[in-house]
Amino acid sequence: MALLTTILLPLVGFALLGLFGKRMREPLPGVIASALVLASFLLGVGLLLQGGARYEAAWLPGISFSLLLDSLSGFMLLIVTGVGFLIHVYAIGYMAGDPGYSRFFAYFNFFIAMMLTLVLADSYPVMFIGWEGVGLASFLLIGFWYQNAQYADSARKAFIVNRIGDLGFLLGMAILWALYGTLSISELKEALEGPLKNPSLLALAGLFLFLGAVGKSAQVPLMVWLPDAMAGPTPVSALIHAATMVTAGVYLIARSSFLYSALPEVSYTIAVIGLLTAFYGALSAFGQTDIKKIVAYSTISQLGYMFLAAGVGAYWVALFHVFTHAFFKALLFLASGSVIHALGGEQDVRRMGGLWKHLPQTRWHGLIGALALGGLPLLSGFWSKDAILAATLTYPFGGVGFYVGALLVAVLTAMYAMRWFVLVFLGEERGHHHPHEASPVMLWPNHLLALGSVLAGYLALPHPLPNVLEPFLKPALAEVEAHHLSLGAEWGLIALSALVALLGLWLGFTFFQRKTLPAWYLAFERASRESFYVDQVYNALLVNPLKALAEALLQGDFGLLRGYFGLGGVVRGLGQSVTRLQAGYLRVYALLFVLGVLVLLGVMRW
Amino acid sequence: MSYLFASALLFALGVYGVLTRRTAILVFLSIELMLNAANLSLIGFARAHGLDGQVAALMVIAIAAAEVAVGLGLIVAIFRHRESTAVDDLSELRG
Repeated sequence: MALLTTILLPLVGFALLGLFGKRMREPLPGVIASALVLASFLLGVGLLLQGGARYEAAWLPGISFSLLLDSLSGFMLLIVTGVGFLIHVYAIGYMAGDPGYSRFFAYFNFFIAMMLTLVLADSYPVMFIGWEGVGLASFLLIGFWYQNAQYADSARKAFIVNRIGDLGFLLGMAILWALYGTLSISELKEALEGPLKNPSLLALAGLFLFLGAVGKSAQVPLMVWLPDAMAGPTPVSALIHAATMVTAGVYLIARSSFLYSALPEVSYTIAVIGLLTAFYGALSAFGQTDIKKIVAYSTISQLGYMFLAAGVGAYWVALFHVFTHAFFKALLFLASGSVIHALGGEQDVRRMGGLWKHLPQTRWHGLIGALALGGLPLLSGFWSKDAILAATLTYPFGGVGFYVGALLVAVLTAMYAMRWFVLVFLGEERGHHHPHEASPVMLWPNHLLALGSVLAGYLALPHPLPNVLEPFLKPALAEVEAHHLSLGAEWGLIALSALVALLGLWLGFTFFQRKTLPAWYLAFERASRESFYVDQVYNALLVNPLKALAEALLQGDFGLLRGYFGLGGVVRGLGQSVTRLQAGYLRVYALLFVLGVLVLLGVMRW
Repeated sequence: MSYLFASALLFALGVYGVLTRRTAILVFLSIELMLNAANLSLIGFARAHGLDGQVAALMVIAIAAAEVAVGLGLIVAIFRHRESTAVDDLSELRG
């Protein structure tokens, strides 16, 4: 019951703020929403210290409403509510004065509640509730400023692309049900021990579930919604990109690790898709001019990293990166938000620059976030990225190709992270603004996130340094036998990745401060700005033909309607001409009467 | 036979009057004409077939008198209300 309460608290906030929020004075809805998330966080910590919890209630026939708090879901719960709380607090300042203030926090609480449902679920249908709820919440929040048609379109795009993934999730569940007659994760885990009954069908189920993860976590080829998802207010981007929605896919893979560890081919596919996505996101980040879009593409790329880790079998490493990423990505987004706030809504990095001296606090947040993302040694991003790199070599589904690819992405990541920082904070001022530093309610969450961005990596240091996270998460994940590298080789790799990260950071730092960039780079940037024309290709191949089909069907429908209207019109015309006879003119009646009598007489005579 | 012709002529005149006159009073008079045409033919038939027709004619006269009483009352009421007795103005029952 206490476990259910962690979900109910933010849900109550949603109901409360949704019903009465309008009548509250400004900071109150934000304070209530934040406090409820914090309460949820504290409750989760308490339950986790007691060694987990379980909640079960009768629900659909054959499917119980079961929640489970083990180390895996507890870990996620802490990320969701912890980072979520900081973003809530930040939003109190960021959304100040917005006419939809209480509505915003109602949605925010709903988002957290649904994400907790997703994370705590011990059966796939319950997880699916959270899965869909998160999708709905993201739709509502991305389109929060719904009067802007473009934002509303972005919200719809996110929703529709996610539906494709959700179809995969549903089909995967259907196959699992057909094979094992249960959708409880714990029961499936037991059922899958020992030899597999129908490996090819099971692989198909795994692929379908992965398709769901691809949609939610914006992997190639369903990544097109995420860059647009930054249309909403900045705290929304931070919440979606850092702590909640997009990590759901990684969580699904980790939660289903018992399934994927038995399916090497599917795992290989996951790793390949992950690496592809990492490349695509990193390359697309270079050309973006919107301060938040750069960070958005970086999210796609970092999620690719997580899937790469999950694909090679290093599930705990994937979650480790989820953890560190939650801090530095939230920090990057909230720092971007502070910059946007400071410049009165300006989002184009080409009109920024030189903010280093104007934003004495935010500049450090931006620097720490960018360096953690770029993988500066000893910051959190470095440790988790390095763990992924090492995992591609040590885990059974990995290989040298993955390692080299991931290393290349690491260079690119460091470079575009620096590009972001240089364009925003260094160089000359290119805009005509009067920047002002953010208020304390926005700065303090960032201080804490910055602290997390620096320290989060120390939970899991490479062998032989202490690693707290791996033994903590291992019991909830499938056993995958990883062979250990020798100490020398392992630290050699760490030194290599540190070198590579430093090289990338230095390259990015110097390259993007140049006055003129070389022509080949500008050509690349043009392609990158359009995200390599994926949207255009999708529009040409899918969206426009479907639109044309829909319009053709609409026309057909109109044709049918016109036909029916025509028929109806004839009958109505007849009726109307008859009503003329009933005009109430007495003499017309009399005339008709006489004529009738005459006709009758004529008939009788004849 | 000539009675019947006269009756038919009278009836046709009555019908013509009902169809062409606009004033309710004249429509009324035309109806009386038609009733009288009927009476005439009834009396003509009584000549040939016995007195039943005369009884029927008396009935018609009595009923016509009652009808006129009611009808004139209505016409007077309508005139007071609308200041007109033109039947075409009465195409709607609303007042």
